Amino acid sequence: MTKLTAVVLGMAAWAAVAGLAVVIAFNMGNKNQVLMFLPILVAVFAAWGIGEAVTERVFNGHEEGM
Amino acid sequence: MAFLNRAFEKKELRDPSAVRAVFSNTWLAPLWLVARVYLGYQWILAGSHKVWGDQRWIGVSGPDGLGLKSFWDRAIAIPAQGSPAIKYDWYRTFIKYMDDNGWYHWFSWVIACGEMTVGVLLIVGAFTGLAALAGATLNFNFMLAGSASTNPVLFMLAILILIGWKVSGWIGVDRWLLPALGTPWEPGRAFKGLAHEGGGGAARLTPRRGAA
Repeated sequence: MTKLTAVVLGMAAWAAVAGLAVVIAFNMGNKNQVLMFLPILVAVFAAWGIGEAVTERVFNGHEEGM
Repeated sequence: MAFLNRAFEKKELRDPSAVRAVFSNTWLAPLWLVARVYLGYQWILAGSHKVWGDQRWIGVSGPDGLGLKSFWDRAIAIPAQGSPAIKYDWYRTFIKYMDDNGWYHWFSWVIACGEMTVGVLLIVGAFTGLAALAGATLNFNFMLAGSASTNPVLFMLAILILIGWKVSGWIGVDRWLLPALGTPWEPGRAFKGLAHEGGGGAARLTPRRGAA
């Protein structure tokens, strides 16, 4: 159950990253290449970091956890 | 006969360590992430113009794809003076066939949704190699149709990401997806039964620490 929750949370985190990118593209378009770029990069890093931590904790660092 | 044997000899030539460091090692994954997000955002922008922007191609009142039809009409036109946008006759015939048969109605959905999908997949780093290949195919077709714009730069970027497919999605969903799903020639953990006996699944897609 813990593993399933972790997988679902991971998928939700990455879906949020995709949603953020689309929302930024919708609202900012091509106005400022740097400003639109940074939040997406930070979001990707955050989602990846969360995934790494969860993989380490829930799947005992197993590389092929998911 | 000896030279024929030499020509078809099975001999694997290894890439230099510098090439492997860039395209097969995760230490440059942050650089690939920047390239990936930039390329992905450009695709989302291009797709968004067609899905909900000023020059939308789909979901409009009236028939869909009129934007694509006007693009095709401009591309296949042969001017009285100067050179046509499309250089290859076979490609002009191909576009003309689609134009004449009204394929722009549904093909506009394929392009608009395809661009959005490629953009999202590149940003989250899922199926990165396939997404880059699809993006490069779109760029290639736009260039064949005579539209340069940003296509040459995006095409080159997509090709580089495609070459580095193993690591370009490392800071992304591919970090878990590739070892789990594997590849057609080396199934991952999710397809254990299909993996070669003793192959250990997609072992080669799970990075070894310190490997260069």
